Amino acid sequence: MKENKEEGNREDRIASIVLIVFSSVYLVYAFLIPMPVLKQQLGPSAFPRAVGFGMLILAGIYAWQQFRGGAKETETEEEIERRAAIIGAEEKIEKAADLKTMGFMLVAMIFYAFAFERLGYAITTFVVFMAGVLYLDRRHVLRDAVIALISSFVLYYIFTTFLRVQLPAGPLKLLGF
Amino acid sequence: MDFLGHFWSNVALGFGVAGTPFNLLLCFVGVFLGTLIGVLPGIGPMTGVALLIPLTFSLQPASAIILMAGIYYGAMYGGSTTSILVNTPGESASVVTCLDGYQMAKKGRAGPALAAAAIGSFVAGTFATLMLMLFGPWVAGIALKFGPPEFFSLMLAGLTVVTSLAGRSLVKALFSTLFGLAIATMGIDNQSGVPRFTFGNPELMDGLEFLTVAIGLFALCEVFVNLANMKDAVQERLSIKGGLWLTKEDWKRFIPSCIRGTLSGFFVGGIAGAGAAVASFVSYGLEKKVSKYRDELGHGAIEGVTGPESANNAAAGGSLIHLLCLGIPGSGTTAIMLGALLMIGLQPGPLLFTQQPEFVWGLIASMYIGNVMLLVLNLPLVGMWVKLLDVPLYLLMLFIIMFSFLGVYTMNNSVQDLFIMVLFGVIGYLMKRVDIPAAPIILGIVLGKLMEEKMRQSLVISDGSLMIFITRPISLFLLFLAFVAITNPYWKQIGRGVRRLFGGAPAA
Repeated sequence: MKENKEEGNREDRIASIVLIVFSSVYLVYAFLIPMPVLKQQLGPSAFPRAVGFGMLILAGIYAWQQFRGGAKETETEEEIERRAAIIGAEEKIEKAADLKTMGFMLVAMIFYAFAFERLGYAITTFVVFMAGVLYLDRRHVLRDAVIALISSFVLYYIFTTFLRVQLPAGPLKLLGF
Repeated sequence: MDFLGHFWSNVALGFGVAGTPFNLLLCFVGVFLGTLIGVLPGIGPMTGVALLIPLTFSLQPASAIILMAGIYYGAMYGGSTTSILVNTPGESASVVTCLDGYQMAKKGRAGPALAAAAIGSFVAGTFATLMLMLFGPWVAGIALKFGPPEFFSLMLAGLTVVTSLAGRSLVKALFSTLFGLAIATMGIDNQSGVPRFTFGNPELMDGLEFLTVAIGLFALCEVFVNLANMKDAVQERLSIKGGLWLTKEDWKRFIPSCIRGTLSGFFVGGIAGAGAAVASFVSYGLEKKVSKYRDELGHGAIEGVTGPESANNAAAGGSLIHLLCLGIPGSGTTAIMLGALLMIGLQPGPLLFTQQPEFVWGLIASMYIGNVMLLVLNLPLVGMWVKLLDVPLYLLMLFIIMFSFLGVYTMNNSVQDLFIMVLFGVIGYLMKRVDIPAAPIILGIVLGKLMEEKMRQSLVISDGSLMIFITRPISLFLLFLAFVAITNPYWKQIGRGVRRLFGGAPAA
């Protein structure tokens, strides 16, 4: 349990540094925004600068809370959780994540985006869907293959023919699909 | 007299718009899909509404919002079903319903619990809609007198109040809001024509599409979160035994708690501007304090279902007043709806009531119709909804991925958008790991452009002096609100006050 907490604190520390770097880069770019030809009361860079400073200050406070030997708790863990429940805060997630599965799905998504126009909607969707099925759960491959066919090829047909939504055809165009 | 005449002609106009067969169909489709989203585990209302927005692109504005409002209402509604039968809330506003709802179901009273939730939601939703009709034009009338400084302060207050309620850490939530504002500054500055943060990429000239960010942050993030812990997905489910309908005794206990829930929920959502989740907890606390049967709460008391369920629907309806009359979203889901309206080319705010009455009143009328449809759809079909829980999680996740890609691509036919969406999916997951809330980002993106515009207009009026925000009384008051929201970190004192008032918040 204690290890968990330290782990969380380490992640928080890394996050706070990432946020400081991000805010600084944003702020630098905000100062590099060119002035318009027409002089205005408030140029296009004023608002981004204010936002950038705000982010930098908050990221700084965040980092300070984390590095000062963990945030000085004004509330106990339990109190924080109770308040979080009352205001309906987003749920905390399990830290012990299955990184392999997540990595696989991330690669699948990147492939999906990469091939979306090149191979067309129908083929890419079918491939990604089946790859997901084969990786995640192979107990009902036949049933899932039918579902994959419907959500790729049949859906493509419905969208392009009935709903007039443009979707990339890919090589299917050669078949006059 | 004149007021009443106006009122009835507006109502007639509304039902004329909402009552066309096509719009009735859309309303039905909306509440149906919404209920589906509410029931399915792993898809919250924000993900659901974001994923379904592309469906509305080809529709008229009035039809689009009718569909969206149906989805919103349906999702609020569907969440309670799984709370009662499976003890897993479909969304955060139904967390409290689990406490007594699941206990009732365990005692074989699932039917009355579902009925109480459904009827309570119906009553509260109808009440909130009625209030929107009565007070909406009035609020819009006040806001019509607002100048740019007031609007700027209003948006600032809206952002800080909502943000201060968004997470465990105020610092993280505020950062999240500012991150949203930062994203909103990308693209060509529409007042000077200067490109900002475009890095020479022509597709970034229009800035980031809010829907691309929203679908990445919520839908894809949800895929990652669910895949990261797929093992423990087995749930025990209770069946519905006995009759569905309430007994005479149930009715006696139902009515007072429903009235209390509706009023407190409307107050929290419509006036204080807090979300449906807060409303449900306030209502539960109220029941604990004043109900005649308070000792039974937690062991399957009907009040514990009726109160919170009425309250969260009243709050959801009430927060539409903020959205439609002021253009300020009170929650993540309404922020997504606001973003969708902006994409259609509508600017919610006081002018909407006068310039597009058919839109506003059509929406209001459709909310009545949608409430009735939900009642009819939910009670007899509850068995079918529960069967949906049999859909395996991995298939559900693959469907979410597919719909995310489909929706984002059809928006601009851009592959770059797909990559940006995946990037935000990863960002969303990393943020979840360190507990930075994602909803404020959406609020920031949606309000950012307008906020900057109002700020610059104000400073043109005042010739560059920031004093203009303080010397105008309404603006000063709104800034004061924002100040209170920030300087009250953790709302601890208020939390204590609420607990003292209502005799202890529920242990959750």
